[in-house]
Formats: sequence, C-alpha cells, structure tokens
Amino acid sequence: MKKRMKKLAALSMAVLMAASLAACGSSGGDSSTGETAEGAATENAGGGSGDESKEIVYWNIATESPDKDIVQAAVDKFNAETESGYTVTSIPTQNDTYKEKLVVAMSSGECPDMYSSWSGGPMFEYIDSGFAQPVDDLFNASEIKDKLMEAAIAQGTYNDHIYGIPYLNVSLAGIFYNKEMFDQYGLTEPETLADLENICATLKENGITPFALANGSKWTGSMYFMSLAARYGGLEPFQNAVAGEGKFTDECFIQAGEKIQEWVNAGYFPEGVNSLSEDDGQAKQLMYQETAGMLLCGSWYTGTFASDSEEFYQKIGWFPFPAIEGSDADPLIQIGTVGDQFISFNCTGDKLAAAFECAEDHLSDDVMKVTIEKGKIPPVNGVDAQLTDPITKEIIEAANNAPEIQLWYDQYLPPAVATAHLDGLQEVFGLTKTPQEAQESMQAAMDEYLSTKAE
Amino acid sequence: MKEKSISLLELRQRNTRKVAALFLAPITILMVVYIFYPIVDTFITSGYQWNGISAAKKFIGLGNWTKLLKDMNFWIAFKNNVVIMILSICIQIPIGLALATFLDFGGKKLTIFKVIWFIPLLMSSVAIGFLFTYALATNGGLVSTISGWFGGGNIDLLGNPKTALLTVILVICWQFTPFYMVYFMAAFTNIPYDVFEAARIDGATRGQYFWKIALPLLVPSMKSAAILSMVGSLKYFDLIYVMTGGGPGTSTELMATYMYKQSFKTFNMGYGSTVAGGMFLLISMVSLITMKLLNGKKED
Amino acid sequence: MDSYKKNKRKSIIAWVIAFALAIFWLVVSFMPFVFMVLNSFKEKFEMLTKGVFQLPDKLQWSNYIEVLTGGFGNYFKNSVIVLAISLILLLFIAACASYPLARFKFKLADPIYALIVACMSIPVHITLIPVFKMSKATGLYDSIWALIGPYIAFAVPISVFILTSFMKEIPREIEESAEIDGCGKIQMFFSMILPLAKPGLATLAIYNGVNMWNEFSFAYTLTQSAQNRTLPLAIWEFQGQYSMNTPMIMAVLTLTLLPMIIMFIIFQDKLVKGMTAGAVKG
Repeated sequence: MKKRMKKLAALSMAVLMAASLAACGSSGGDSSTGETAEGAATENAGGGSGDESKEIVYWNIATESPDKDIVQAAVDKFNAETESGYTVTSIPTQNDTYKEKLVVAMSSGECPDMYSSWSGGPMFEYIDSGFAQPVDDLFNASEIKDKLMEAAIAQGTYNDHIYGIPYLNVSLAGIFYNKEMFDQYGLTEPETLADLENICATLKENGITPFALANGSKWTGSMYFMSLAARYGGLEPFQNAVAGEGKFTDECFIQAGEKIQEWVNAGYFPEGVNSLSEDDGQAKQLMYQETAGMLLCGSWYTGTFASDSEEFYQKIGWFPFPAIEGSDADPLIQIGTVGDQFISFNCTGDKLAAAFECAEDHLSDDVMKVTIEKGKIPPVNGVDAQLTDPITKEIIEAANNAPEIQLWYDQYLPPAVATAHLDGLQEVFGLTKTPQEAQESMQAAMDEYLSTKAE
Repeated sequence: MKEKSISLLELRQRNTRKVAALFLAPITILMVVYIFYPIVDTFITSGYQWNGISAAKKFIGLGNWTKLLKDMNFWIAFKNNVVIMILSICIQIPIGLALATFLDFGGKKLTIFKVIWFIPLLMSSVAIGFLFTYALATNGGLVSTISGWFGGGNIDLLGNPKTALLTVILVICWQFTPFYMVYFMAAFTNIPYDVFEAARIDGATRGQYFWKIALPLLVPSMKSAAILSMVGSLKYFDLIYVMTGGGPGTSTELMATYMYKQSFKTFNMGYGSTVAGGMFLLISMVSLITMKLLNGKKED
Repeated sequence: MDSYKKNKRKSIIAWVIAFALAIFWLVVSFMPFVFMVLNSFKEKFEMLTKGVFQLPDKLQWSNYIEVLTGGFGNYFKNSVIVLAISLILLLFIAACASYPLARFKFKLADPIYALIVACMSIPVHITLIPVFKMSKATGLYDSIWALIGPYIAFAVPISVFILTSFMKEIPREIEESAEIDGCGKIQMFFSMILPLAKPGLATLAIYNGVNMWNEFSFAYTLTQSAQNRTLPLAIWEFQGQYSMNTPMIMAVLTLTLLPMIIMFIIFQDKLVKGMTAGAVKG
C-alpha cells in the first residue's frame, strides 16, 4: 500500500513538474505575444486587420431559429456562390452575452471581420474606436442601394457615412390587443389618447388589466415612455437633447412620465409591474391567460405570439400608438428599428468587398423569402406586396407612412445615458421617483457623456 | 552541545523552506499567470479614461479613483453587499450547522435528506432565477397565494425597492446553505470518534455532547465558514443579475453588477476597472481584518 | 433511573421537533427542483397559459428527445473532460500549497496565506480580457483546454483557504510520531496528511465541481465554435433574441443537474469515511 502510494506520488510530482514547466514556457511567451496583440489593436484601429486568411469570421446573435435559419441561409448562399475566393464562418452567440463578448474581443484586438449589432449607441462606439469601416462606395455601387428603405439606411448611418447594413426585421412600438375582448366590451381601435384611456377604464372596470407589462427588464417600460414623449412633443426635443442643444427635462418627457404615473395609480398596469420579468415571459403570460387586454411592445411580438400559439395569434390585433389631442406632434412618427440587426465590417480591400457581398446576400430574394416566411419584415422597399399576414401588413404600412422612425432610446443613446434612463424610468413606474427627478438624472448622465466626448 | 543543536535547527529550517518552496511552486505559477497579472492589469487600466475597445486610452491618473470615492452608486452597492454579508452569515451558517448536526446524529439512514438538501447548490442560477420570479410574482405567485389563504393581500416582493434586496438575499441563502451543511459535515468527521464515545460513557446526552464538546471543537470551522460567506457575499453576482439586474432602480445593485455594467455595458472600462480595484481592496481589507480579529481572540 | 426516562422522553421530543424542521427544509429545498422537472415536460404555450406551478397535461418527452438529439452529447463530453482534469489538478495543487501553510513554521507562511486569501476577492469578470488575450496568444482559444487554467486558478484561493484550516486541525502528535520514525516531509504529505485531509478534499471536490460544471463566463468568452462549448452554453439554442423556449431550457438544466446529483451521492460517502479511513488509529 505504502509503496504504491510512493510511486503514485513520484508520478504525480513528475506530471506536475512537466505541467509547471509548460506553464512557465507559455507564461513567458504570453508577455511578448500580449504586446503584439496590442500592436495589432492599434493596427486594427488604423483600418482593417492585416490578416491575409481567406476566412471571414462573422459574429451574430442568431442562436435560435428563426434568426438562425435566416443567417444560415445567407451564409450558405454566399459560400456556395461567391467568386471572391473567401468563405464566411458564422459564429452565433447568445444575445445576453454578445455585447460583452464583442467588447472582450475588440479590446484584445481580435474583432471579427464582420459582426451584427443593433446600431445606435454601441455601434457608434465601435465606429469611434475604429472597428467598423464605412462602406459608402460599395453600397452606392450595389443594388441594395435602391432596395433598402430610406429609414433603414438612416439607422445604419453615422456621421454621414454608412457603417451598418440592416437585414432582419422592421419592428415598431405598437399596441397588440385581444380582438375578442374588444368585441365583448364593444371597444374599437383608438384614434386618440383619450380613446385609449377610455378603453383602459372599460377593461379595468371589468377586472382586466389594461396593459400587460413586465418592467423588471426595464426596457419594456421605456416603450410607453418613448411613445408618449413622441406624441406629446415629436422627436425634436429628443434629438436636441442628444445633440446637447436641449435637455431631457423638456416638457414632453415630463408629461410622458406623469401620464405613466397616472396610469400606474389608476391600476392600468399589472400589480408588481417592476418585479415581472419579460425574459421569463411574464408579460405575454398575462395576454395568454386573458387577464390583460393590451400589450405595447416592439412588433417582433408577432413572431413570438405566432410561434407560441398559432391559435392565439388569430385573436390578436394591432394599432400604432394613438395621437394626443391638442399636440402639434406628427402622429405618424414611429418609434422602432428598421432592420433590427445591422452588419458592420472590420476589414479592408478584397476582404471587405467579399464581406459586403455576404451582407448583400442577406437581402437577396432567396434569403428574404426565408425571412418573410419566418414572420419577419426585411427592411426593403415594396416588401408589403410579399406579405400576407394582416398584422405585419399594418406594421409595414405604418413604417412606410412614417416621416421619421426613431430608434429605441435604450439602443440609440450612449449606453451610460440609456442606463440612467432605464433605471430612472423604472422608479417612475414604482412611484419612488418623480418624472422630474428621473429626467434630471438622465440629463446628468448625458452631460457627463458630452463632457468626456468634448475633451 | 549548544552549537550543534543550533546548526541542526538551522538545517531543519533550511530544509523546511526548501520543501515549502517545492510545495508552493505550482500554485505560485498559476496565480501569477491568472490572478496577479489580471490584478495588475486592472489597476493600470483604472488610471485611464477608456471605453474598453478603442486603441486610444487617455491617462487621467487618479481621476477615476476620486470619482469612485464620490460615487454614491458605488457606496450604495457596497452597502447592499454588506447587508447581504451580514444576513448571509446570520442565516446560512446556523442553518448549515443545524442540518449538518442533524445528519451527523442521524447517521446513514438520513442520506436521502442529505442528497435532497444539497440540490439547491447544484441548480443553475438560470433555473433558480426563472422559478423564483414566478414563485414571487405579485399576482398569482406562491407567496401571494399563501398570503391570500390567511386573508392577506398580494405581496410585491421583488418590485418594491424596500423588500427586493431582502427577498433576493433569502433566495441566495436558500442556494448556499447546503454548502455550509457539507462544510460542517466534513468538520464533524474531523472530530475523532473516541471523543464522542468518551462523552457517551461519561453519561452525556446528545444535546450536552453537541453544546459542550462538539460545538467548541467546531469553532475554527465556523470562523472559516464566516470568512468564506463574507468573501462570497461581497463579490456576489449571479442570481442578482439574473433576477433583478440591480433593480428596481438601484435598490439591489451590487459592487460586482455595477462593475460589470460599467465595464461591459456602458463602455467605461477604465472606471469599471477602478470599481473592480476598489472591490478588491475593500474585500481584502474586510476579510483580513476579520481574520486577524478572529484569530487574535483564539490566542487569548 | 427516573432521570434516565426523563432524558429519554426529552430526547424523543427533541427528535420529533428536529424531524419536523428537517422535513420542512426538505420541502423548501426540493420544491424548486420538482417544478424545474415538471416544467421541462410541458409544452411552451401550456406553461404560459396554465402557469408554472400546475402539473403538466401530459409528459412531453419530446423536449428531452430534442435536447438529447441536438449537440447535448458533445457538450456533455466537453464538460466532463474539463471538469475531470481541472478538479484533479486543482485538488493536488491546493493540497500541495495548503500543507506547508498549515503545518510548517516559516516566516513567509503568514504573508503568503494572506495573499492567497486576498485573491478570493477577485471578481471574475475583470480578468476576462487578460485571460482572453493569454488564450489567444497561447493558441488555446476556442478549445476546451483554454478553460482548465482559469478554472483551477479561480478555485485555488478558496480551496487553499478551506484545506489549510482542515489541515491545521490534524493533531500535531501524528506528525511528530511519524517524524521520529524518520519520515521525511514529502513522504509525510503523501502517507499521512493527504489521507487525513480526505473530508476536506471531498468538500472541495463537491463545491468546486459544482462551480466548474455550471461555469459560464469563461466558457463563453474562451470558446466560440459549437463543438467546443460546455454544457452551460447549451441553453443558447433555446434562447432567442426576444423569446425563450423555457420548457426546453428546463429540460437542458435538468439533464445538466442529474450527473451532479449522482456524483454527490457517490462523493458524500467520502465525507463520512474521512477520519476512520486514514492511518490515524495507529
């Protein structure tokens, strides 16, 4: 027994020594290669990786279908048909961890050749840090120039250059409602905010929660705020505040916050609204259990409803957020994303051209057919003709009629400001902060951001 | 005579140092590569204003550190961590000890208890977060339903800034108590069986054995357990991030979630590193001081 | 005799109360697990309409079939390899380090111990970028081997802390008598200390095993292709941008949990045997 123990000990010591020697070697190597990695980062920032490999690495968030099917179809098409000599490898990463993974990779100078993002604040940050190339020339020479909706191109543009190619979905903030429930209580789609509030009052009287909202996730409540603010004051106050020429304490924001608190007090939101989790499906659950009548959220919800239950989806109707009486704001303005996912490029020369070709494939007729089949609306002109689903048709109509479509605040704003907005607004819903206080903290975050940018 | 013994002692000490160095070599390599290097890196980064990805970093000296000292959100997070720490120690360790004692007295027949009690520690935070958000839902959740049986109204635990932290702490305790159970079970086996036998022969009841003999022998383990629980709660991240994301507002924000958001969500890597550095300093200080205090008492 | 009876009655009452509390805690511990399993048998829409705490209409084995026919086997294999190697190396390295810290008298013992304890407070996320750079530089990136180093390194401080306190409890006489027999320090470690530290090692194996099995941050930062992922990343396939297939995720999590429960049933025996198995009696 003892002898065996000794042998074992000797053996394990030997293994350990070898392991530690190996570790020594590699750790010695680390410090030097670490520096080269940093060198590469600077090079990257200068413009594109000097990597000569014929593989294009493409990061995206398409881990689950339908997104997975769409991206895969595009990548397969590219790999099968391209004459560029490059191949694209798609690396899907789950949404929650995707942004972090990108930050880690970029910070180590290992940014993928092409990657998708939601555009807005984070994309601007990637661009400012040199991890995205403008593709104006390629874009102007390509056929997607005329294909893509103007609003879609606008959301992929930064400092007058095109950096992001949108492909996935047009999604607007709008109100889904239970048609059967509306029929039962003699309700019709509202034209004005007063109509909407009458609907709420009727539903409430009948023991039904007017709005299904799970605000533990914070961004869900922002849908209400953005819609109200846009109807009260249009988009100008927001755009001015972002540019540093106005303030987030503008009247329209305060009014939006006050209206939300009025609704909270009237019981128009579920009890414990700040504890419900959107990720865990607690908002749609209220719709499915038919204890709530309406749900204001991004119109990707059509896909969610349809995939959860085709039968339930038949009961669903949709209308854009109604106008507010006495406000000059254009009620056709919409809040939403025209594209959802935007592909950015971190490579140059032939590689960039090949990567761009792959992005174009996302918008090719074959792939778009898949996209539409899966209940999404690719952000291209004339897509309405191909749509059959009545709700998606209404959505694209609203998008086409919109003079302007503002990207979600939490996506568009610099992330630090977006966080301040979401945290403050959640407390507005919880009645622990006044709208004024919440907007002041949002403005403070904006001021700080602007001051660091100005330096 | 004396001379010889000194040299012998020296020889032994030298030998001891050699063997110690041998035994400590692997851990040293590992820690230098994976822990010390990142710590140094963190402290260096904390001197910069940096978004985390850009090649352009701006050196601002102690700018981030002065900001940290004045940052109310960080200190609220620290306070929340301290609350978790105190409650964790007060809840997890006594329950863990009670469970372990029960199992130790009961012997093999109670294996089924042991296995089931252990399950919470094995479950992933995703599943725990999901099930508890439903169990704690204000309308139709388990807690509200039970409150309804007794004529109470619905209870909003997670959405109320006053109760959110407390609620999450209870879930955390639920998750980690089994660890202390296992820990104390191992500690019980370290008490030689003869001690128990001797006590029984002297006519001590189980209760007396526990309070008079076992408990004092377990004191060192309890001290270590307290430190483990302390460090664990000061850097806690998982479940809070899954369940509340730091909300409502900032009522459940922790140092780790704050650091994570600054570093990876809001492109403030420089400041995020400062928060991490501050965390490291605070936790090390608190745990080393506590250890000094606990061990100091032992020597008296 | 009377007092004996009284004691007996008292002890019965004590046991009854203890049992009642024990069963209460049993329910509290077990319920979430039960609901996790129950929900893994539901259909997605059913779970949302009927609520999470209802019994499933019928057992939907299809969830499990879909999970098992996907990449699960491969993830499982990766997780087992990473866990086995990391755990063995970890226990050995931690035991090696704890031995001199607990049993030797030398000047640096206290500072080294304090340093290691301080390292327990490192938040994992802050090391992601340096560790990512290192794995890229060493070519380990996107392989399961990249995970082993950080897994061990982050488990080592807490392990040394626990093991050192365990080893300190081993009676000094055992060592002294062995030393008189002419047993060297290295030999002593393998023949005496290591066997005696078994309960401590078993605790560590359980605790660290669970952590490594469920580890998420390094797993997603250091691997990218599907064939190199570990189990905690398996839920990705059922979690989309705006919706997640919760019953399927619960099925994945249940399947992930089962091997751990089995491991625990095996290992917990080691916890009990600890002291008696060693050469203590001699």
